[in-house]
Amino acid sequence: MKRLAAVLLAIVLVAPAFAQAPTVSALKGKKVDVSIWTHEDPNRTALEKRLIDEFMKANPGVTVNYQTYPSGKIKDIVVAGFAANAGPDIFNLEIFDEYQFITNGRVAPVDFKAAGFKSLKDMQAKYMPGMLDSVTEGGKIYGMPLELTNWALYLNKKIFRDAGLDPMKDYPKTWEDVMSLSEKIVKRDGQIITRRGFDFRYGYYLTSVMPMVEQLGGDLISKDGKSVITGDAAWLKVLNYFRDFGPNGKNLGSPTYTAARKVFDNDRNEIAMSLSGLYQEARIRDANPAFFSSGEWMVVPFPQWKDAVRKVPNNYYGHFYMVNAQKSKLNQQASWSLLGYMLSHGAEYLEKVAIVQPSKALMDSSTYKSMPYSDVFTKDMAAGHIVYYGAASSKIEALLKEAFESVMLSGVEPSKALEKLRKDVTAALADI
Amino acid sequence: MKSRQSMGRLERNRSKWGWLFVAPGLVFFSVFSFYPMLNAIWTSFFNKRLLSLKRPNFIGLQNYVRVLGSEDFWNSARATATFTVGVFVPLFIMSLLFAALITSMKRGKRLAQAALYSPAVLSSVVAALIWLLMLDPRGLANQFVNWISRTPGIDHRWLSDSVMVQVSTMIVYVWKYLGYFTILFVTGIGKIPDSVNEAAVMDGAGPIRCFFSITLPLLRPTTVLVSVMILIQCMKTFSTQYLFTQGGAPLGPINVITLNIYNTAMRDLNIGKASVMSTILFLFMMGLTWVQLRVSRRDEAEL
Amino acid sequence: MSLFDTAAPLVSGAVVALTCALVLVPLAFMAGASLMPAMDIMKMPYRWIPETWKPANFLRALAGNDGAWMYLRNILNSVIVSTSIAVSTVVLSSLVGYGLAKFEFRGRNAVFMAIMGTMMIPFETVMIPLYLIIVKAGMQNSYAGLIVPFLMNAFGVFIMRQYLITFPGDMLDAARIDGCSEPRIFWDIVFRNSGPAAATLAVLSFRQQWDNLLWPLLVAQEEKMKTIPAYIVKFAAEKHADEGAMMAVAVIASLPVFVLFFTLSKYFLGGSAVYQAGKE
Repeated sequence: MKRLAAVLLAIVLVAPAFAQAPTVSALKGKKVDVSIWTHEDPNRTALEKRLIDEFMKANPGVTVNYQTYPSGKIKDIVVAGFAANAGPDIFNLEIFDEYQFITNGRVAPVDFKAAGFKSLKDMQAKYMPGMLDSVTEGGKIYGMPLELTNWALYLNKKIFRDAGLDPMKDYPKTWEDVMSLSEKIVKRDGQIITRRGFDFRYGYYLTSVMPMVEQLGGDLISKDGKSVITGDAAWLKVLNYFRDFGPNGKNLGSPTYTAARKVFDNDRNEIAMSLSGLYQEARIRDANPAFFSSGEWMVVPFPQWKDAVRKVPNNYYGHFYMVNAQKSKLNQQASWSLLGYMLSHGAEYLEKVAIVQPSKALMDSSTYKSMPYSDVFTKDMAAGHIVYYGAASSKIEALLKEAFESVMLSGVEPSKALEKLRKDVTAALADI
Repeated sequence: MKSRQSMGRLERNRSKWGWLFVAPGLVFFSVFSFYPMLNAIWTSFFNKRLLSLKRPNFIGLQNYVRVLGSEDFWNSARATATFTVGVFVPLFIMSLLFAALITSMKRGKRLAQAALYSPAVLSSVVAALIWLLMLDPRGLANQFVNWISRTPGIDHRWLSDSVMVQVSTMIVYVWKYLGYFTILFVTGIGKIPDSVNEAAVMDGAGPIRCFFSITLPLLRPTTVLVSVMILIQCMKTFSTQYLFTQGGAPLGPINVITLNIYNTAMRDLNIGKASVMSTILFLFMMGLTWVQLRVSRRDEAEL
Repeated sequence: MSLFDTAAPLVSGAVVALTCALVLVPLAFMAGASLMPAMDIMKMPYRWIPETWKPANFLRALAGNDGAWMYLRNILNSVIVSTSIAVSTVVLSSLVGYGLAKFEFRGRNAVFMAIMGTMMIPFETVMIPLYLIIVKAGMQNSYAGLIVPFLMNAFGVFIMRQYLITFPGDMLDAARIDGCSEPRIFWDIVFRNSGPAAATLAVLSFRQQWDNLLWPLLVAQEEKMKTIPAYIVKFAAEKHADEGAMMAVAVIASLPVFVLFFTLSKYFLGGSAVYQAGKE
């Protein structure tokens, strides 16, 4: 009985905290079904389902069907849906994959009024400068940012100390450091690694390996857009780094070990350094609360080469919510209103899911500033640029993976791999 | 006169019923197989993009020229061919061998077949999950091989080495289908009348000679069936390679043609080019099967 | 009795036994790992008998990472879809196989070859056109969408045709003389007597659907319409899915097919009259 009373009391106390969603006058008395397809993220799903319920309560004519898919599969499903002209009203993908939806005219420009902005200018003013560029095409904005993420280096202090290192002093500043620290930390059983110092996020070459090339003055596509794969020396140095790092070199890591960021949270003396975004903090908190609150982990900036010619942190990438252009005006209006409402809860997204919407209000908020190490991410992001996106970016990502892993795993000469890469990327760009 | 007329009617009647029985199949396959396949062949002549709302342009054979001129396609052809040969030979020989051994056993025939067949019961997704864990550098595969060969601590790079990853896909496939084809052979051998073998034994033929000069020739229809089935299965292989690459294995060495078709369509959104590869694969499999059936039929005629 | 005669069966028995044991290793691994905490699975050397038992893996597998208990519903979906397809494949394939085996008509061979030709079509090829058909018919997110494209298949037609070719024609003629209608003959005489072939085909079709991943991923967009393979991929992809729970998911997914296989195994193990392909 006492318990029940406590629960009731809690409900009464919490209830007023629930925001009242706005009633959209254009939707009054109309029946609208809105479908959303998004990638899986249990914390975000819980939050968004709640926000959707609030919106539906305020707008009884609107029914929202919210579906989540594994992040590795969602692109195929959204593409197939749109190919059959049966896409959802609202979806999100990485900007990388979303760009083609803009260029093919499959998504509708933001309805500013419905989404809660006064105008295009007003919307731009509410976000950090440049953050909407990747979805701006011909003076129109085609998406609302769900999250913008960059990666920094998570570090396990216990493992550092165990290897006789002082994490506060010895943490890596350069890629050369990353390699030498990994050599000190690594533990093996024969050739088989049982503890890694650092390992890459394989499969994300555009996001986290391109910056390594750019730091040394190389580029994927030159500024004038005329030449492909420029600055061979830079590329070769990074390719050689991968060869030295991999099983044919110093044997410090490889793509077939369990992904570094997944084992990092477990804190089982398996990995000392891993690249990830601010969102990883929420994952550590959920998976291993003891480790989260132990103070035994920290985050340091994305390393730079010793002889870097420019400072390039990890590229950031974004997920934008977009709206299907084939749906009726009313559906689009309802979709933008719903998105406007959902995404106005930036602080909650940050607290519960640890994803960052790059709005000025949020980045200046105390919620953001009080997140551990959020300043590390902010500084890196301010100095960085968005990941390469274009019609051929998925293909180019696959080509980069092939080139680097052929050098790392199959003993292909870096210069040969680079020539092949140049040829393949040129062909991929011509094939759009 | 009258009876011939009624015979004619009866025949027409039979023919009508034949069509009626076949009709549901024709309707079904027309909608769900012939039409999509013809659609793919048709698409292969167009510059069609999956997301584009524009009308695709007819570009004749350009897609074919592009595909046939790309290294990527030939790498896939190589990957599929290597996989097919690498699976066909051991799978065929081993299933035949085990069928012969199992039929010669006095006890435990059923049990042995059930044990060999059991991997086929697992779904590909489950099989891939298990194998990805076992082939992890710290997994069972390394430990097992190192235990047998007394080479502790060697990493055989089951998934990361470009040769080993191909071997790994073959191992998974043979493991999965060995029981299935063994059962087909056991069935085939079971249909050979015992009297034939007994007569040979009376003539003083040993078990090995019996197998090669009696069982094998009489088993021909089954061997043809099994070899066609293995070939088609291998050339259509998809899920093992797909799930392995998702698990971190390099794409190049195991980029079999079906996986390439999938990526060209779903990743590069180039449905025209994907259709070209589909058409080529389809025609190639048709041709190969036709040759196989032709050869086996000629042999039979000679016998 | 030479030495060879006594040794040979022993050797062949040993070879068979050893191979069977090897083949079963991955299955034993799955079963063992499903009861272990994740950190023990990657331990070197591997321990076959768990040091610490963790049956809670099964609870986690069923409840899901989000605790929505969707797996049970997804299992039910798989059962419904696979069973319907198994039944329809058997019925329709014997219908068509019977037509091809026992009736003479012009173009019969062409029809047979055309149907066989569909075996050469890779599914990845027809996936998109097929999806368009299903969308046009408004069958996404429904059992119909999951079932209809697989109502029958060329392999089934092939098996049933080969089986029915050897069906005694006298029985059919006798029934005709007695005035039986053709549909009746099919149902009462032919279909009733194709037990072993039908059972094998049913098991094979059931298993094939149980395995189907790509199609349900595309068609079943709603959580409650997903099937087992889609659930597994989702479970394995979710953050922090631990390997022990993953293996528990795998065990649960495999159990029904194992039960089905072993109950029906008497029909297709040990030379039953199923693959009549050889007998012309």
